[in-house]
Amino acid sequence: MLLQTLNGLVYGGLLYILAVGLVLIFGLRRVVNFAHGSLFMVGAYVGYAIATHFGNFWLGLVVSVVVLAVLGVFLDAVVFRPLQREDPIVTVLVTFGILLVLEDAVRTIWGKDFLSLKPPAALAGTVQILGESFPTYRLFVIALAAAVAIGLSLWLRMSRIGLFVRASSVDRTTTAILGVNTDRVSVLVVAAAGVSGRVSAPVLALSPCMGRLILIDSFIVVVVGGLGSFSGAFFAALIIGQLHNFGVVYLPWAATMIPFLLMVGILIWRPSGFAGQHV
Amino acid sequence: MSELLGFRAVEAGYGEARVLHGIDLAVGENERVAILGRNGVGKSTVVNTFLGVARLRAGEVRFRGAPQRSLQHFTAARAGVAVVLQGRHIIPNLTVRENLLLGAAVRRPGAWNLEGVFELFPVLRERADTPGTALSGGQQQMLAIGRALMANPALLVLDEPSEGLAPVIVDELAVVLRRLADGGTGLLLIEQNFGLVRRVAERYYALSKGQIVDQGRLADLSLAKLKEHVAV
Ligand SMILES: Nc1ncnc2c1ncn2[C@@H]1O[C@H](COP(=O)(O)OP(=O)(O)OP(=O)(O)O)[C@@H](O)[C@H]1O
Ligand SMILES: [Mg+2]
Repeated sequence: MLLQTLNGLVYGGLLYILAVGLVLIFGLRRVVNFAHGSLFMVGAYVGYAIATHFGNFWLGLVVSVVVLAVLGVFLDAVVFRPLQREDPIVTVLVTFGILLVLEDAVRTIWGKDFLSLKPPAALAGTVQILGESFPTYRLFVIALAAAVAIGLSLWLRMSRIGLFVRASSVDRTTTAILGVNTDRVSVLVVAAAGVSGRVSAPVLALSPCMGRLILIDSFIVVVVGGLGSFSGAFFAALIIGQLHNFGVVYLPWAATMIPFLLMVGILIWRPSGFAGQHV
Repeated sequence: MSELLGFRAVEAGYGEARVLHGIDLAVGENERVAILGRNGVGKSTVVNTFLGVARLRAGEVRFRGAPQRSLQHFTAARAGVAVVLQGRHIIPNLTVRENLLLGAAVRRPGAWNLEGVFELFPVLRERADTPGTALSGGQQQMLAIGRALMANPALLVLDEPSEGLAPVIVDELAVVLRRLADGGTGLLLIEQNFGLVRRVAERYYALSKGQIVDQGRLADLSLAKLKEHVAV
């Protein structure tokens, strides 16, 4: 039971971080980024490759973070920036195309089977909590996801750049007129969105469709939380994280449907999500 | 007198449509200049042109005498020209305080800071932590002006600041603008409210169908002629 709750927290934390990334990229570039989840997947595979090749888990994590930052900067400059004035349907098709290309690339290099990575030696043991034994590695991931989620929120709330990010994600033109170089803010956000997704989830089980699956749940978080509301996304992510994990354990046949049902319910009850403003 | 903002033979518009046809104007340091004109003649397009929102098709825009090769949205702010846009454009998900801090994104050295703006508009201090868009229209106008001041601009451009304000609030606005001018800030006031124009500006350009049809000193402009330029 405790284990399930904690696993739900990990998943919820990760969903929150990805959902914030989606919301910010949408705000800054008017791009619905279907490739967001596949960046997370590419990061996981790069981490895996480095970790198994050099036999060092931490090196894999660090290198994959750098790779994602570079990929983010590249995507923003080459894809999102030229697309920002296009019809939304064009951007959806293009980012969906990127998702397919990245998935195929990963499948070609690493195959379509699940791969698994060993946790680093320091985190390989188990810890006893309230009489249940708990893998140390899981606790580490929980702490990390929590730290990244809190760090991201504080950065958005408290820092000067965070203020620019929040402002440009709702009104880019006015923010730029006040002197902010919003293109530079966007590059930073796209890179940070990829990096925070990666740092918060040094996952051990990899498959080419992992990015797609988590992306769907992240979209649901965005919709349920209310587009543009970070606190709404936070609560939605916690709830969906728990539902997901309990669903997987107790109602496996319905697990993938539960978040959708929640979304439909919320949309009927409050069409702009729980914390969304009416538009 | 050194020039802060200059237009030379400016042609500009949106997409293929041209709105401005050969505009020449100049605003110098510590000047108080008005742009007059009826609805739809292209007043806001003058602002949009130097902000890089409308497209500059021919001619030249200068900040502090320097011709600008590419006009990005942030170019004006970085040249010391702050704009209070028509319609105020308060950022909705930020508090009053955060909107003000955003105005300091690029800051020239100078006396304006959060404390100074709160002294000028005490109501903003009282409501510092409420969302900017929860303020009344007049308070939002104060917030928009305060936000522009946070950059310590050499030139403050205001696009129809009196729009939608009650007459007593417009009176307060006139007092504030005079105080700013006395403090050394240049003003470019785009207005249709002739009372406000007469109390604030010393020089004017009158715009009609995208062209400057009259200009001069406000003292030399009869009230009848002024009303004709801004007739609503
Ligand atoms: N963003 C835009 N895109 C396309 N056309 C525009 C845009 N803004 C203004 N126009 C057109 O340019 C012309 C001049 O508009 P502008 O806003 O400059 O007038 P204005 O003098 O500021 O009017 P008002 O007093 O109503 O604010 C109008 O015909 C208007 O329809
Ligand atoms: Mg206008």
